Amino acid sequence: MSGTTPTTPRIALVLAGCMMLVLAGCRAPGKPGPAEPRPDRVMEFAKLYKQNCAACHGEEGKRGLAVSLSNPVYIAIAGKEAVLNATAKGGPGKLMPAFAKSYGGTLTDAQIEVLADGIVRHWGQPQLLAGKNPPSYAATLAGDAAAGNAAYTAYCTRCHAEEAIDKTHIAGPITDANYLALISDQGLRTAILSGRPEEGMPDWRGIAPRPLTDRQVTDIVAWLASLRKTPASPNTASSKEKSHE
Amino acid sequence: MSKPTEETPLPAPSEWLGTTKEIEDAHTSATSRRRFLFKMAIGLNAVVGAILAVPIVGFLLGPAMKKEGAEDKWIALGAVDSFPIGETRLAEYVNPITSPSDGDTAKTVAWVRHADDGTFQVFAINCAHLGCPVRWFEQSKLFLCPCHGGAYYADGSRASGPPERGLFEYLHRIEGGNLMVRAGQLPTLSTQACAGKAPLVGIAAQPSTPGLLAIQAPAAAPPERS
Amino acid sequence: MKDLKQRGLRIFQWFEKRTGLLKPLEEMARHPTPSSAASWWYVFGSAAMVLLIMQVMTGILLALVYSPSASNAYASLQFINHNLRLGWFLRAMHGWGSDFMIAIVLIHMMQVFLFGAYKYPRELTWIAGVFLLLLTLGMAFTGQVLRFDQDAYWGLGIGASVTSRIPFIGAPMVHLLLGGPIIGGATLSRFFALHVFLIPALLLAFVGLHLLMVLRLGINEWPMPGRLVRKSDYDRNYVALTKSTGVPFVPDAAWKDAVFAAVILLAVMACAFFFGPFGPGGQPDPTIIQTVPRPDFFFLWLYAVLAFLPPEMETPALLIAPVAIVGGLLLLPLIAGEGEKHWSRRPVAVLMVTLIAVTLGTFTHLGLHTPWSPAMDSWSSDPVPASFVEHRTPLERRGALLLQQKQCRNCHSIGGVGGRRGPALDAVATEMTGDQIVRQILQGGGNMPAYGKALSPEETTAITQYLRTLRGPGLRPAADASQGLQPQNASHPVDSTKGASGAP
Repeated sequence: MSGTTPTTPRIALVLAGCMMLVLAGCRAPGKPGPAEPRPDRVMEFAKLYKQNCAACHGEEGKRGLAVSLSNPVYIAIAGKEAVLNATAKGGPGKLMPAFAKSYGGTLTDAQIEVLADGIVRHWGQPQLLAGKNPPSYAATLAGDAAAGNAAYTAYCTRCHAEEAIDKTHIAGPITDANYLALISDQGLRTAILSGRPEEGMPDWRGIAPRPLTDRQVTDIVAWLASLRKTPASPNTASSKEKSHE
Repeated sequence: MSKPTEETPLPAPSEWLGTTKEIEDAHTSATSRRRFLFKMAIGLNAVVGAILAVPIVGFLLGPAMKKEGAEDKWIALGAVDSFPIGETRLAEYVNPITSPSDGDTAKTVAWVRHADDGTFQVFAINCAHLGCPVRWFEQSKLFLCPCHGGAYYADGSRASGPPERGLFEYLHRIEGGNLMVRAGQLPTLSTQACAGKAPLVGIAAQPSTPGLLAIQAPAAAPPERS
Repeated sequence: MKDLKQRGLRIFQWFEKRTGLLKPLEEMARHPTPSSAASWWYVFGSAAMVLLIMQVMTGILLALVYSPSASNAYASLQFINHNLRLGWFLRAMHGWGSDFMIAIVLIHMMQVFLFGAYKYPRELTWIAGVFLLLLTLGMAFTGQVLRFDQDAYWGLGIGASVTSRIPFIGAPMVHLLLGGPIIGGATLSRFFALHVFLIPALLLAFVGLHLLMVLRLGINEWPMPGRLVRKSDYDRNYVALTKSTGVPFVPDAAWKDAVFAAVILLAVMACAFFFGPFGPGGQPDPTIIQTVPRPDFFFLWLYAVLAFLPPEMETPALLIAPVAIVGGLLLLPLIAGEGEKHWSRRPVAVLMVTLIAVTLGTFTHLGLHTPWSPAMDSWSSDPVPASFVEHRTPLERRGALLLQQKQCRNCHSIGGVGGRRGPALDAVATEMTGDQIVRQILQGGGNMPAYGKALSPEETTAITQYLRTLRGPGLRPAADASQGLQPQNASHPVDSTKGASGAP
C-alpha cells in the first residue's frame, strides 16, 4: 500500500515531463514549417515550372503537347535568349502565352529569369552542337515555296501524310489549313530544326539522308506557310500579332 | 500576532436593516419629497444618458453615416500608354482614404480593359457574387472567380455562374495622358462605384442582364458561325 | 493532519462570513439530480463550458503577443508561430478548441432537442442556449478574421457582400461592418474588439444565465415514452422524482462530466500537437489575386449553399433563411413546450435532426471539395495525360494544346485531373456529336460561358477534332440519328479513324 501511493505522482510527473519535452522539442508533427512566400517571391525553378509550364510542355519537360523543353537540341538551337523571350512575351508558336507581368502575365522578371535559366541548365547540353553548324534559330533567308514543296514531298511525307510510308512513325498530315493557322512560321521552323525525339521525329540532321540546310528548312516553312488561308480570319485571338513576331 | 477571537456568523441583512416597508413607515413625512427627489434624479440621469448617447452612438455609427460615395475620389491608375490596346491589365492603386494601420490592405487592384476601339473599362477585382478576386484569362477572354466559379466576358458582362450581374465598373476619365478612376470603397451590390447610376439593390428586376455597365457592350457572344 | 483540517475550516469560515458565497456554492454542487440524469449523455454542456474556459485562457495568452492592426497582424501571427516557444502550440490549441467547441455545442443542442429537455419549464434555458450557439459561431467567424491572412481578408469581402444585400440600408451596414470604406485597419480592430471584449462578455453572461437556470430548474430527467410534460403537474412530478431517485450532482453525476471534459481537453491538445495551428495562409495583400479563399470548416456548408443557390434566389434566401432558422429555434420551446419528451415517440423531431445533420454534412463535404470552383491553375500546371494525346494527328494535338491554353481544363477534367465545375471530357465524344460539341463551345449554356468571341474558326475546329477522339474504350462515338438516313453527308468530315482514347 505504502509502496504504490508515491509512485502514482512520480509517474504523473514523468509523464508531464515527457509531454513538456515533446512539446518543447521540434519533433511535434504539427509544428508549422516556414511560411509560404508571396506568389511573386517564389523562386524555385521546380515550383514555377510545375505551376506555369507543366501543362503544355509536360512534367519534367517531356511528353508535352508544346515544344519539348527537355530536348537538348531545341535548347542548343534556340538558346537562353529565345527561351527567355518566349516565356516573357509569349509566342513564337502562337499558342504560348506571355508570362511576364509587363506583358499581362503573372510572373516577375526575376521569376522569368529563373525559369529560362532553369530550363537551359536542367535540360540543355552546352557543347551538344559545337561544330555541327546548325541553321540559325530564326530564319534569315527568304523562302522559296516551290523548292519547299519539293523538299517537303521528298523528306516529310514519309511520316506526315494520310497514307504514311513509314508505318512506324505515322504522324498525320500537317498541310491542313486549320493546323497551319495554329502554328507560326517560327513554330514550324523550330519543329523541323529540333525535332520531337519522344515521338520519333528526328531533328534537322535526321530528316533527310544529309542534314537539311538552312535554305531547305526555310523553303519548307515557306511552302507550308503558303498553304495557309490568307488572310487569317479577323477577330480572333491568334491573329493578334505579337510585337516581336 | 495575537490570536484572533472566534468569529460569529452575521445575522441576515433583513434582520438588522429592517424591511423597506419599515424604513418607509419611519419617514412618512418625508416620503413624498424623497420620492420626488428620486424621480427627479432618475429624470436627470435620463437626460444625461441621452446626451451621453450622442457621442457614443455617433462614434459607433460614424462609418455608416458617410454620404454615399463621399469617400470616392479620382485616382490616377497610370499612363494611358501603359495599357496596351486590346488587352486587359491589372492596375494597382492606394485607396484614397486610409488609416495608419492599414498596411498592405490600403492597396487595391482593378482590371483595366483597353478595348480594340480605344475605349477603356475599369472593373473592380471583386466578383459581383460575393466579392472574391476575379482573375482575367487572356486566352479564353474570361474573368473567372475562384470562389463559386462566376465567369464574366471581356466587357464585364455576366457569362455564367452564381453572379446575377456583370462586374462592378468604376467611372473613369483620361486626364493629361493618365487614366483616372473614381474609387474609394469596397465594391459590393450596395456600395458599388457604378458609373453614376443608382445602386442596384433589388436584383429581381434584372436577373440575367449584364447589369450596370457604363458602356453597354453587346451582351453574350452570339455564335459566330453555325 | 487534524490541525491542518482545522486551519482549513477556519479559512473557509473567514471567507464565508465575508462573502457568503461558499455555502451556496457547495449547495449548488450537491444539488440533487434524478439518478437517470447522471448519464454519459449529459456531459456535453459542461464540456462546452470547459472548452470555453480553455479558449479564454489560450486567447488571453495569444492576446499578449498578437497585434490587432492590419499592418502587423500577419507578422505577429508568424512571430507567434515561429519565434515564440510553444507559440504555435497555443495557436493550435485555440484554433482546435474553437472547432471542438462548435462541435460540442452542436452535439449538446442535438441531445437536448432529442431528449425534449427544452420543454416546460426549461424553455428559457433553450433560448439562452440558442443565443450561446450564435455567439459561439460569432466567435468562430471573428476569430477567423483575426487570423489575418488571405482567407480572412476575402472572407471579410464575402461578409460585406452578404451584408450589402440588405435592402435600403445595405451600404451603411457594409461600412459599419468594415469600419470604413474598405477592408483595412479599422476592420481588423473592430473584429478584435468583438472577439475579445463584446462577444466573450455576452457569452459569459449567457453561460451564467444558462447555468443559473439549469441549477434552479434541475437537470432534465431521462425521458420515458408516454410520460408527458404538462405545465400543471410537471414540477410536482419532478420534485417527487428527485426526492425518490435523487443523487447529489457532485460527485455522483459530476465525475462523468469531469472525465469527459478531460478527454476533450486531451483531444484538443492531441489535435494541436499532431495537426498544428490553422494557417496563417498567404499575406492579406489585396494585390495578390492568385488566391483561392476558403472559409473555416464550420462555415463550409454555407459556402457550399452559396454555390448552389440560383442567382435570383440568393438575396431572398440570404436575408430570410437566417431569420427563419433563428426564429424557429427561439420559438421552438414556446410552441412545443409540452407533451412527449421521448425521441421514440417524436418521429418528426428525429427526422428533422437527421435531415439537418445529413444536409449540413453533405454541404460540408461538398465545401471540402468545391466541385463548383474552377481549378485556377489547372490550365498551366496539369498536363493532359499521355494516353489521351497518343496517336493523334498534329491538328488534334493542337486541339489538345488549345484545350489547355483556353483554360478549358480549369473547369473540365481529363483523366481525373482538372477542374470539376463542368463535366469530365474523358469520353465526351460518346455523349455529344461533333455538331453538339461545336455549338456547346461557341454558344455555351448550362453554366458554360460562350467561347464564340475567344476562338477563331481554326481553333474551334482543332478543339472539336481533338474532343471527337475522346471516347471511352470500346465505345462508339455519338452520332446524330438523322445522319444515318442520308447516305453521304458532306457537312460532316469523316472522323479520323482513331482508336478509343486511353487504350492505344
